[in-house]
Amino acid sequence: MSYIDVVEKIDVPRPHKHYTEPHFEEVLGLPIAYRREGAGEATVLFHGAGFTRMWLPFYAMLAEKLDFVAPECPGFGETPLPQWVRGFNDLAILYDQLFEQLGLSHIHLIGFSMGGWAAAEFASFYPRRLKSLSLITPVGLRLEDDPGVDIFQLSPAEVMDRLFKDKDVMREWLPDGEDFDEGIHMYSEFSAAARLMWAPRYNLKLEHRLQRLTCPTQVIGAEEDRLVPNAMSDKFAAVLPNCRLIRIAGTGHEPLLERPRELAALLTVFIEEATP
Amino acid sequence: MNKLRFYFFHLMPYPHIPPASEIQSTWVSLSNKYYDPHRGHSLYTEYLDQLAAAEQFGFDAIAVNEHHANFYGTMPSPNIIAAMLVQRTKEIPIGIIGNAIPLHGNPLRVAEEIAMLDVISGGRIISGFVRGIGCEYFNNGIAPADSLARFNEAHDLILKAWTDDGPFTWQGEHFYVPNVNPIPRPIQQPHPPIWIPGQGSLETLQFIAEHKYTYMMVFSPLWFTKMAFDGLREECHRLGYDAPKSMFNACVPTYVAETDEQAHREAKAHLSWVFNTGLKIPDQFFFPPGYMSTKSFRNFIGLLQKGKVKPQVNLTYDELIADRYIIVGSPETVKNELGHYCDEVGAGGMIGPGSPYGPMPNWMVMKHMQIVSEEVMPEFREADGLPDYQRAEPNSQRSRAELAAVKGKPAETARSRVTGGGDRLIEHRLAHVAEVIDPTMEHAQ
Repeated sequence: MSYIDVVEKIDVPRPHKHYTEPHFEEVLGLPIAYRREGAGEATVLFHGAGFTRMWLPFYAMLAEKLDFVAPECPGFGETPLPQWVRGFNDLAILYDQLFEQLGLSHIHLIGFSMGGWAAAEFASFYPRRLKSLSLITPVGLRLEDDPGVDIFQLSPAEVMDRLFKDKDVMREWLPDGEDFDEGIHMYSEFSAAARLMWAPRYNLKLEHRLQRLTCPTQVIGAEEDRLVPNAMSDKFAAVLPNCRLIRIAGTGHEPLLERPRELAALLTVFIEEATP
Repeated sequence: MNKLRFYFFHLMPYPHIPPASEIQSTWVSLSNKYYDPHRGHSLYTEYLDQLAAAEQFGFDAIAVNEHHANFYGTMPSPNIIAAMLVQRTKEIPIGIIGNAIPLHGNPLRVAEEIAMLDVISGGRIISGFVRGIGCEYFNNGIAPADSLARFNEAHDLILKAWTDDGPFTWQGEHFYVPNVNPIPRPIQQPHPPIWIPGQGSLETLQFIAEHKYTYMMVFSPLWFTKMAFDGLREECHRLGYDAPKSMFNACVPTYVAETDEQAHREAKAHLSWVFNTGLKIPDQFFFPPGYMSTKSFRNFIGLLQKGKVKPQVNLTYDELIADRYIIVGSPETVKNELGHYCDEVGAGGMIGPGSPYGPMPNWMVMKHMQIVSEEVMPEFREADGLPDYQRAEPNSQRSRAELAAVKGKPAETARSRVTGGGDRLIEHRLAHVAEVIDPTMEHAQ
């Protein structure tokens, strides 16, 4: 792991469902875990603050028509969190280098929730790498009137409840309460999220920097997001150039798990249309 | 040296809140609308009186600490309270146990304030350093994941500021200070005694052993305190020295009244409030993500799951007594209990006996202090009944005369050119004396 100070890596547990072995690419001394399947337009997804280490059904759907790449953010899944990585700008640098090493010179970028913030930051630094940008229930802008709930003040059960509108889907994805290692791993991933997002919960500069984008952009919000106010997707849509806003009916904050087929179709068509 | 030191510790709770069953938490989320500043005024007055009175009762030190956004302890700025106590007491050491140093934008502020207090008090300050509990991070822009690293760096900066001649530059990972040169410097050399309150994590014990600081175990069952103290002794031993008893302070709320029955009758509600209401804190407030390293969190949850540590909010009064979280009884009972406790864990000091707990009324606190000082403390003292600090020389001179006799004139003194004095530098203390300004001047007889 050379010269960088990597936070001790205790064995990362493997979820019972959907786990696949990742590839690793060493970037600035950091082994970044990623999964890649399919052929077509190179498309990268930045995940949210959970449900890592898995090849989700939603990913498989995207890989049907795309060259789909899902890296794991430092501190999530099997990518360690080096001490020097403290913010989304550090992630942008790491991802740019990762894409360079993987030969992904021009990509379609998708960011979900916390990954939406990461994607917006990446786009603001490297707009010319992007063929399109899709943000799904993203965070990262300031909502002056009502910032919404503080996710870090919620118990794990409350987080799950607020993530999903469809409680049947929620029950399907609930972590096993008896799984000690998985519980510890979730704390560790939340710790990484808190390092990136504790304060402030927004980047005021994004509103200016995102003006640089020239590619097609879209924001996909939920019908009833109880974790992040719907005003967040409204605001992203207002800030992003060339942007369309879509709300998926019947979902909460987690459309990837609640409406995978519908969401994958929406993204695939958008990406096809955005491809010159 | 006495067998045991007695530290009078105040949390300064604000008890006029709904019962535990009606609130999510006493910290973070319970609205400050419940805080009535007028009642606060009267409580602060009472609490300061109690702390000041502890000197007359003969305690070894009085102590306060820092907590934020809660009703369990209303001292967000403990140095302000300490400043008042410095003025209201004469000789007793004053502990700030401690300042939550990762939470401050510039830790130098803590170095400055402690040095001010130490100088003004004549060298009576005990300086505790803490990370602050997890809840503290919610009213702060400091990520809990940075807490430990900031603690370590803030500590190093404060210690260097106290012990090295300034100015120097601090070039850290979390703090950058172009010119570190705090004035005043503390009286106590090389620096005020440092206490580290902790919950027994290995990282804390190693830190204390390395620096030879004083450890203060927070509320815990006896077996856990013993485990931590043994761990610390082992760490010290590993570093090649035997840890003196004075390095170990146990925090055991202890209440004494005329008889065992009377003591339980009086203590039960108030001591239970401390644990069941004052410390009603949901896990996500207590351990915000990153506050504990994944490794420490793993160990802690492991202990919880094995049933070895029960969340404090769920402890019944009987469990608190049985596990020696607390000690309650007549003077005879408590003398025995304290003796056994200290022998078993090897503690040199107790934070607890004589102190106030939760919503305990003032009269009861005063009665408790009197009984502890007259009927418990002497058992653990030498025949003179004095706290150790009163047998030692004070850390600073007590009068102008003593200062002049001991230190003579200052090495440097204010000197200026004055009218009529030519190019000579005249000492200011003499600059109003005509024949000093101009020695050729004839005396007007």
